[in-house]
Amino acid sequence: MKHISILWSVVLLMLLSSCGKTKNEVVIYTSVDQVFSEPILKDFEQETGIKVKAVYDTEETKSTGVLNRLLAEKNNPQADVFWSGDPIRTIVLKQRGVTASYHSALAQDISPIFKDSEGHWTGFSARARVLIYNKNLLTDDDVPKSIFDLGNEKYKGKVAIANPLFGTTTFQFAALFSSLGYERAKLFLSSLKKNKVVIATSNGDVKKRVVKGEIACGLTDTDDAHEAVQEGANVGVVFLDQVGLGSLIMPNTVNLIYRAPNEANGKKLIDYLLSSKTEAKLAKSCAQMPLHKNVLIPKDVPSLDAIVPMQINYEETANKLQEIQNYLKSWVEN
Amino acid sequence: MGRELDHKLSFNIIFWSVFIFVGLPLIYTFGMTIGAWKKDLGLLDGKLFGLLMRSGLISLIISALSTVIGVVLAFFLYKTDIQFKSVLKIILLIPLFVSPYILAVAWRDLFLILGLSSSWISYVGMIGVLTMIFVPLSVLIIGSGLSNIDASLEESGLMLTSYKEVFWKIILPLIKPALISSLVLVFIFSISEFSVPAYFGVKVFTTEIFTQFSAFYNHSLAIFQSLLLVVICIALLFAERQYLAEAPFFSIGTKGVKQKVYQSSTKLGLWIVMAWLVISVGLPIVVLFAQAAQGGTAVFLKSFNLLRHSFLNSITLAFVGALLLTLVGVVAALGYLGQGRRRYQDYFDGMLLILFAIPSTILGVSLIQFYNHPALNFIYSSDAIIVIGYTGKFAFIAAKIIKNSVRQIPKSLIESAEIVGVNYWLRLRKIVFPILMPSIFTAFLVGFILCLGELGTTIMLYPPGTEIMPIKVFTLMANASDFLTSAMVLVVLAVSLIGVLGIYGLAYWIASKREKRYD
Repeated sequence: MKHISILWSVVLLMLLSSCGKTKNEVVIYTSVDQVFSEPILKDFEQETGIKVKAVYDTEETKSTGVLNRLLAEKNNPQADVFWSGDPIRTIVLKQRGVTASYHSALAQDISPIFKDSEGHWTGFSARARVLIYNKNLLTDDDVPKSIFDLGNEKYKGKVAIANPLFGTTTFQFAALFSSLGYERAKLFLSSLKKNKVVIATSNGDVKKRVVKGEIACGLTDTDDAHEAVQEGANVGVVFLDQVGLGSLIMPNTVNLIYRAPNEANGKKLIDYLLSSKTEAKLAKSCAQMPLHKNVLIPKDVPSLDAIVPMQINYEETANKLQEIQNYLKSWVEN
Repeated sequence: MGRELDHKLSFNIIFWSVFIFVGLPLIYTFGMTIGAWKKDLGLLDGKLFGLLMRSGLISLIISALSTVIGVVLAFFLYKTDIQFKSVLKIILLIPLFVSPYILAVAWRDLFLILGLSSSWISYVGMIGVLTMIFVPLSVLIIGSGLSNIDASLEESGLMLTSYKEVFWKIILPLIKPALISSLVLVFIFSISEFSVPAYFGVKVFTTEIFTQFSAFYNHSLAIFQSLLLVVICIALLFAERQYLAEAPFFSIGTKGVKQKVYQSSTKLGLWIVMAWLVISVGLPIVVLFAQAAQGGTAVFLKSFNLLRHSFLNSITLAFVGALLLTLVGVVAALGYLGQGRRRYQDYFDGMLLILFAIPSTILGVSLIQFYNHPALNFIYSSDAIIVIGYTGKFAFIAAKIIKNSVRQIPKSLIESAEIVGVNYWLRLRKIVFPILMPSIFTAFLVGFILCLGELGTTIMLYPPGTEIMPIKVFTLMANASDFLTSAMVLVVLAVSLIGVLGIYGLAYWIASKREKRYD
C-alpha cells in the first residue's frame, strides 16, 4: 500500500510540475509544416530571448488540429499568433471573430492585395499552384500548359489532384469559381471527373504519386514541387495558364488573436515573420516567393514578377469557397 | 456488507472522477450543440445510413479477420512450447507502436513496388492494413484468456477424447468472453478509424464526420453524426452482454494451478507465427529501412536529433496514462466480481464505452471547450489534459480486458475467504489481484502502447511547446523527404520497443520479488 501511495504521489507531482508559466513568452499556432516553421521560430527565440511555445499542424490532417482548436478556444484564447500557409483559413477565423487587428510597420511595402484592409491578416512569402509531371511519362511537348488541358481525353487517368474539400486545392477551385463564374467552373470540374482524375489525400500525396510514376502529372504547391526536385526526382514543374487566367498565388498569412494573452510579444513575432529576413529564409528552405522587394533569393526560386498571377480577391474567394463546399462535396463523392 | 461498502467507496471515487474529468466535458459539448440538432436531423438521409452500413460491414470483416488470426497466433504463442515465444510476442506488438497512417503509407509503397494499383486494392489494402494493426490486440486479449484456462479441464478432456474435440468443446467455449471482446474492440477501433481509410481513398462514416468538422467547420453536425457511432457501439455492447449472460463461465487457471502447455511435435506453429510476423512486421519494416537507407546513416542521426527531446516526455505521459486507465479498468471490472445484477457497473461500462467510441477529434474539442476556462487553465495548459484524454480514450479497453478475467473468478473462492473473515482489501490483495495479474499487466501494456501512439485527440490538446513523439513525426513528415520520414518511424519503433521491454523488465522484477517473498 505504501508503494502505491508513493507511486501516486509521483504521478501527481509530475502532473502538477508542468502547471507553471513563464511570462516572457509567445504562443503561436501554425499550419505551416514544422520542418519550415520551426527553424524560423527558433531563430526568433534566440534573437529576442522570448520563449516561443508552438503548436504545429500539418496539411496531412487538413490542419484540423490548429484551426478547430482556435475556434474551440475562442472564448479563452491560449494562442497569441496564428501563422497560416494560406489566407483562406485566416479569413474563416476573421469571420468567426477569432482574429484581432494589427497593422505591422514591416508590411508597409507589401502590396495591399496581400493584406486585409482592417489588419486582421497580413500576407508574406507566397507559394503558387503548379503542375508537377513525371518526365518519364510525359515529354515536354505533352505537358499541359493550361489547367483546362487536364480535362482533355489525352490526359484521361493521368492526372491527380488533392481532395478539393481541403487545403490549397479548395482554395484553387474557389478561385476558379470566382474567376470563371459558376457554370464555366462546373464544366471544367465535370471534364476532370469524366477524365477520371485521381483524388489524392494531400498535395504531398500528389507529389509522391507523380514522383513514383503512379500518375503522369498533378496539381500541387510550389513547396512540394521544389522538394521533389531537391530530392533528385525526375520531375518537371510548370506554372499553368501563363497566357490567360494566370497561376494562383497563395501567401502565408499571419494574424494576431483576439484577446491574445501575450499581445505585445505576439506583435513582435508578427513583425519578425513579416520581415525580409524571414522571407529570405523561407525562399531558401522551401522556395517561397518573397512579397517584399529586393529580397535575396536562390536562383531556383521563381520571382513573383516573373509569374502571371490569377487576379483574385482573397476575401471574396473565401466567401465563394463557403458557397461551393456542398457542390465540391457531391463532386468528390459522385 | 463490508465488501459492499469498501467496494462502493473505491468505485464511487473512480466513477465520479472519470465522470467529472472526462464524461462531463462531453455532456457539456453535446449540450452546447443540442439546439442545432433539429436542423441536423434533416441532414440524415439514406445515403448517410448506407455509408454507416458500409463502414459497419468493413469493420465487421476486419474484426472477424483479426479475431480468427488472433486465435491461431495466440494458441501457438500462449498454449504451445514453440521456441523464442517471449521474443515473438514482443515483435508481434510492433504494428501497434506505429501510427496507422504511417503503416498505410509503407504498405501502399509496397503495393506500388509490386505493381498493384487498381481501385480494388484500396479496399483490400485498407482492410489488410487495419487487420494487421489490430491482430496484436486480438492476440493479447485471446492470449490472456488462454492463459487463464485451468489445466485440469483440458487434461480431463484429453483423457476422454481427441485434442480436436478438446479445442472445440472446451478451449473455445472457455475463451468465449475473450473472443467476443476481441470482436467488439476491434470493431469499434475499426469503425472509428479515420486515417487509413482516408489514405486509401475509401469513403467511410468517419471520413464524413471529418469532412463536416474540417471542411465545413460544422461542429454540431459532426458531433451529431458521431452520436450514431456511439449508438451502434452501445447496441453492440448490449448484444454482447445478452450473449455472455447465457455463456457458461468456468474456473480459471490461477496461482498454484498449472497452465496446460502443449508440446509441438513439428515446427508448424513456429512457421505460422513467423510467416505472420514477416507479413505484418517484416515487410513494412523492410520498406521503411529501404527508404531510410537512401539517406545514408546521417538521416538516422538527424531523425534521432529531431525527436530526442520528445522521448522522455512521451514515455512518461504514456506510462502515467497507462497507470491511470489501468486503475480505472480495475475498479470498473471489480464490480463484476461474483454474480448478480450490476446496474451501476453497467453505467460505468456504458460511460467508458461512449468515451471510447467517440471520434478522437470530438473528444479533443469537448475537452478544450470544457477545460479552456481561466479557472481550469492549470489543467488545460499542462500535460494533465493529455493524460485525461488518454484515460477517456482507452479506459474502456483496460476495463474490458480485466473484466473478462474477473468474470471467470469462481465465486466460491471469494465466499470461502469471506466466511473465514478475511476483509475486502486483503481478499483483493491475496486472492483477486494475483489471479487478475496477467490481465492487469495486459491492460497496462496495451494502454501504454496505445497512449504512446495516440494522435487524434493529443494533436488537439497538447500544450504549446510540448514535444510528443507521434505528433512530432506527423508534423515533420508532411514535407520531409521519404527517407527522413522512414528513419523517424524506425527511431519511434526503437524507442517504443525499449519502453515495452522496460515494462516487461519491471514486471519481471516485481514478479521475482514477489516470488522471493513467498518462498
